[in-house]
Amino acid sequence: MPDVLQIAGGPLAGYIAIAVPWLSALTVALYRRHVRIIGFAAALITAIACALPLGAASSSQSLYQALMFLFSCLTLGATVILPHRDCTAGSIGGILFILGSTLLAYSADNLLILLAAWILSAIPFFVPRWFRAHSWRPRAGLLLSAIALALAIAQISAGAHTIWIVNLKGQNPGGVAAFGLLVAAVIFRKGIFPAHAWVADAAEGGPAIPTALLFNGHFGALLVAKLIVPLFAGTAAVWLPVLSYLAMATALYVAIRALTENSPRRLLAFIALSQSAAILAGLESGTAEGITGALVHWYVVTVSTVGLFGILRLLEVRFGENLTVSTHLGLAGHAPRLAVSFVVLGLALVGLPGTLSFCSQDLLIHGTLQSHPLTGLLLPIATAMNAVSVFRMFTRLFLGKRRTGFTAVVDALPRERWILAVALVFVVLGGLFPDVIVARRSAEAELVERAIRVHPPISQIFNRQ
Amino acid sequence: MSFSQVILVAVVFAPGAVFALLSLSWLLGWVPGERAISVITGGTFSLCALGLAALLWRLGSSGSTAVVVTFGNWFAVQDYRFPLVLMADRLSLPFLAMTVVLSGLIGQFSSTYLHREPGFFRFFVLLHLFAFGSLLAFAAGSFDLLAGGWEIVGITSVLLIGFFQLRPAPVENGLRVFAVYRATDIGLLVSVFAMHHWTGTAMFTTGPPLLTGKQALIVCLLLLLAASGKAAQVPFSGWLPRAMEGPTPSSAIFYGAISIHAGAYLLLRIQPLLAQSVLASAVVILIGAATAIHGTIVGRVTSDAKTSLAYASLTQVGVMFVEIGIGWTSVAVVHILGHAMVRTMQFLRAPSMLHDDHQIHSAIGGVPERAETQFEDLLPETLRLWLYRWAFDRGHLDTILDRWLVQPLVYVSRLLARLDDVGSPVHATRSAPATVSVVDVARQGGD
Repeated sequence: MPDVLQIAGGPLAGYIAIAVPWLSALTVALYRRHVRIIGFAAALITAIACALPLGAASSSQSLYQALMFLFSCLTLGATVILPHRDCTAGSIGGILFILGSTLLAYSADNLLILLAAWILSAIPFFVPRWFRAHSWRPRAGLLLSAIALALAIAQISAGAHTIWIVNLKGQNPGGVAAFGLLVAAVIFRKGIFPAHAWVADAAEGGPAIPTALLFNGHFGALLVAKLIVPLFAGTAAVWLPVLSYLAMATALYVAIRALTENSPRRLLAFIALSQSAAILAGLESGTAEGITGALVHWYVVTVSTVGLFGILRLLEVRFGENLTVSTHLGLAGHAPRLAVSFVVLGLALVGLPGTLSFCSQDLLIHGTLQSHPLTGLLLPIATAMNAVSVFRMFTRLFLGKRRTGFTAVVDALPRERWILAVALVFVVLGGLFPDVIVARRSAEAELVERAIRVHPPISQIFNRQ
Repeated sequence: MSFSQVILVAVVFAPGAVFALLSLSWLLGWVPGERAISVITGGTFSLCALGLAALLWRLGSSGSTAVVVTFGNWFAVQDYRFPLVLMADRLSLPFLAMTVVLSGLIGQFSSTYLHREPGFFRFFVLLHLFAFGSLLAFAAGSFDLLAGGWEIVGITSVLLIGFFQLRPAPVENGLRVFAVYRATDIGLLVSVFAMHHWTGTAMFTTGPPLLTGKQALIVCLLLLLAASGKAAQVPFSGWLPRAMEGPTPSSAIFYGAISIHAGAYLLLRIQPLLAQSVLASAVVILIGAATAIHGTIVGRVTSDAKTSLAYASLTQVGVMFVEIGIGWTSVAVVHILGHAMVRTMQFLRAPSMLHDDHQIHSAIGGVPERAETQFEDLLPETLRLWLYRWAFDRGHLDTILDRWLVQPLVYVSRLLARLDDVGSPVHATRSAPATVSVVDVARQGGD
């Protein structure tokens, strides 16, 4: 029987990484005091447990290992940056719950464990007193994705009589039906058009930072990289472009939608969704550039959007929860460091030179245009629109006449400043020395590319005919 | 690495290093005083100017035509590479010298002009970033790297338009300019992809990529889109008067000197490709001529000094596009250098000229009567009036773009919003805070 958890450096590090968040969440739920310290310590231990075996990981493992480390660091940052008002036992417990389930999903080499992680990560967003949004659509999206995944796994298990991913590679288990159900799970979970509306609802009506963590687990992209491409190489080569077209359409759709949105949270959710849809398009492109770009972009989107949602929450706590981008609020005068962090992280999300996304966007655009010369054009257009939306959001929130007459207000606190500084250093140093990250990701990209290249994409089949 | 190569690298990266140091010092909570900033800026650009002079002398004495510095690849994936190559040749050297000299002059001018201005530090940080972006774009040995510098120039330009951030108008105008830049820069990004796709490289250290006639046409048109956006050519000219909201020194260096000529530089760089395609050359000439005519007519009805100068710039840049389209590259380079110097001087002189003008008016007891005859007086009155209205609305260019591009996009966006709301009875709302929020204050018009 293969290892349950696919982690380099032996199962011990993996078990520590997975177990610590769960145990800590339980401790927080029972003890209910010093929750920030417990959350921070748990995330720190998890991050160290994920980081230690990074150097020993093989190409096939290093992506998930790196993503586990990244997500642990994000959670670590979230526990520090979480405003005092939000730092309850429920919030910290929920964040650790999301961390545990996300790491479980990244490391799972077993379909049932993957399904369990998929469902567990969504549970806090169903519970009214936890992270549940007011709207029904987030629950519907998450529920439908879980049902689709459960049906797909049932179909796969029934056909192949095994639940170990490693034994199913390249076997096309469950046929087109299982493949279709997996794609449906991706569409619902990732918020791909036409199932995109729940993402904005969740951001608007739920807690900002935990919801950002939910989005940035990128379970949809994970499913593509972990199951769809390795298991269904043949089918994926023919039918996965459909998902890619939908992803590119989503990127453009929500980019246009964002142009007139005035709610900061919804606007940010649209921008994040548009940029993260590009990850799917890159993964499907079948080119090493596109896939590497997608993997690098995964990092950029994750760090930037969690940072941006974090800053937005800090602004809400300081300046009122009814922020809007319909008028100039002039907050830079009160919070210049938050303003600079916002604009750098925001523009880093949309390809600012000198940041990591300049490199990831460059690779993504080359990859997608190479595989889909016409539809690939949607990606730079969507990115340009997103850049305008980011800049509009920045100008409306931070620039304009400095307002007084309300309870004020400090700029970023030291603990917030350090976390934001780390995020900025990551995107900027990553942009100045991108090869450190690109070289590692390109090795994994070649594995994915080889899996897809066995069969030509559908567009090439049609072209040949 | 030879002495010339070291100098080239130092000149390009020095303003970037100063930008990084100043930003870091601010993040750590220490902001240098005005005098220190002024000395740092003056010192940096003086050293850069000396370095460039030494580079020119070395090139002249050795008889070589270019210095190329190859750092390898910034990043690489299989056959795709992003080369990190700097090059100073006969085309880029004048632009590098222009950037260094004018940035230094603007720095010195601004240390007095912006004295005790709240955004003094911010201005100088952005000036160094802008100089770095420009030097990177002009010294790039590949279109990939040029695109990086190009984007940096764009973002600093926008941030300086919104320099007076307390007023909504500059901020909104900055947003508009940013939108035009981003939209037209798609041409640059796609053209770089096309060059990689067809030739495997976007480097031009040994001449532009070898393309067939049809490929050259496509690449030229894509790059022309980017160049037109940055140089405010028709139909994108509407952003230029909006950009005048920035402080005068930044208007001088961006729209009198460097940024406005970046488009012409790009076209000069691809001149061999333009020469391959008659159609692309014709389009360049057409756009340039249309812009020159547009600029000169609209400039005649503008009522403020800076906008008037901006349209004068536009006219000259239009003429430069025509020169490049015809193939008179040397003429265009001389034209650019001369124009940049004169226009910068005019921009910088504009505020004190207005002051002098007011003093003269008060001394002679009113505005002197117009004595000379204008060319437009030769036109029939009906045509003159029509032209006046046309020019007053700046050639209706913004109106056309708004009506045919912005408004449909906004309409579609709102339609999509309505579609998204189907099935969701209300937008989920969070409870408003018990205390007064900044939005309440803003809505009540409070400060």
